[in-house]
Amino acid sequence: MQIPIILTAIIGILMIIEFFFPMPTAMTSLNVTLRSFVTIISAAALILGTLVLTIYHGKKVGTKSSEWYYSIIYIAAFVITAGLGVINVRDTTFLWIYNNMTSPIGAALYSLTAFYITSAAYRVLRARNWNSAVLLVCALIVLLMLIPVGAILFPPVVPIGTWIRSIPSGAGFRGMIIGTSLGIMGLGVRVFTGRQKEHLGIREERRKE
Amino acid sequence: MSLMDKLLDLDQRIIYAMLFIALAFPILHPIVLPMDIQAYSQESFDFADSIPDGSVVLIEGGLTAATYPQGGPGLEVQIVHMLRKDVKLVFFSIGTETAAWTVTAINNALARLPAGVAAENGVNWVHMGYVPGGESGTAAFANDIRSVKSEDHFGTPIDQIPLMNDINMASDFAAVFWWGGSEGSIPYGVRQIVTPFGVPMTGMCTTNEVPNYSPYINSGQLHGIIGGVRGSAEYEYLMSMPGLALGQAMATNFGGLLWAFLVVLGNVLYFIARREGGNK
Repeated sequence: MQIPIILTAIIGILMIIEFFFPMPTAMTSLNVTLRSFVTIISAAALILGTLVLTIYHGKKVGTKSSEWYYSIIYIAAFVITAGLGVINVRDTTFLWIYNNMTSPIGAALYSLTAFYITSAAYRVLRARNWNSAVLLVCALIVLLMLIPVGAILFPPVVPIGTWIRSIPSGAGFRGMIIGTSLGIMGLGVRVFTGRQKEHLGIREERRKE
Repeated sequence: MSLMDKLLDLDQRIIYAMLFIALAFPILHPIVLPMDIQAYSQESFDFADSIPDGSVVLIEGGLTAATYPQGGPGLEVQIVHMLRKDVKLVFFSIGTETAAWTVTAINNALARLPAGVAAENGVNWVHMGYVPGGESGTAAFANDIRSVKSEDHFGTPIDQIPLMNDINMASDFAAVFWWGGSEGSIPYGVRQIVTPFGVPMTGMCTTNEVPNYSPYINSGQLHGIIGGVRGSAEYEYLMSMPGLALGQAMATNFGGLLWAFLVVLGNVLYFIARREGGNK
């Protein structure tokens, strides 16, 4: 158990040092090689994930568990698409599936959010108290600023909306970014010192007895 | 149920129908309304326009089927913009789907290119394709392209691509254009390219993500940003190349105004109901 933790710490510290300080060529080359491992492992993880998902659906069909028929659709779609892609990823049939099925489905799902948000805003975005009134006014100003004709119809929304986006909103996001970064640094220290072991497949920290 | 209650609890199908008409009508019957250029878009355009002729820039193509309608037209016009200036383009993507959509953007841009503008694959532009690994993959690509890519998206070995002869790391580029769509990946470019290599960068994201990147723009780490379909429309407008985005921006006018109208109506009805002693 100690060896993977030590390896993680050494490699992580090497990467951090290289980011801030000049390093000998041999060390930089080692870091470049290590980073290229990441791209290979990520690509392999994609294959592994697909296999795990297919096995899961295969088991569902095999045991005829609840809603197993949806799993058949997945398996059929996977076999046909992956098969055509493996034969020739630039084949017109493969591209036809992508262009005429995958793309419209993706675009349609994303577009639906406009309808849900409008319906939800009509029902929920109401000035029930001062807090929600401030939210409502800010939302209206920023929306009117963002639609192309908004600045022509209501010129004051531009300076006010820009101020909202740059100052209060920007400050909030900056705080979030700094907070997240500090959290990542803390997590890094915990990983390097072996207190966080999720990356080794251990879900819970082993408590000292 | 009184009329007030019915209006306060308006059937969502009516709202959907109204929004559908508001979005579809301007697309089917284009109506061009006046448009103001946003400061972030102008900054991003000016940054791209200031890149010296003959430079090489890196473009991350991060648009998917869901986000291409917003950013695709802008990316296409930017490709035309850069090729007209004889700027060489090196594309890459950190997603498999986005790599395919980048090809679509390149093909559409080449089809719109004026006659006589050089746009040879491997000489004026190259698409390095999918780079796995998210931010770590970006770091690897930025430090040593050849360590992660041995061929381009179309299978041509990197050593047979003339444009890549003198290019192997982020510092070889004059600028980065990060067309992140809704990937949320713009900070990858800031952290792994702008900060360590000092290469200036601008980007594109969906409208709702623009506030996320305001801190990077305010700090100068990002030179403006193209936000959503309006940003694309503004790029088309600034390039005098009206296209799909301008038409869609007009649709967002009507959709946005309807949204504002419904929210105001909902609040007016809510206050009337409350004054009358309703419990809504």
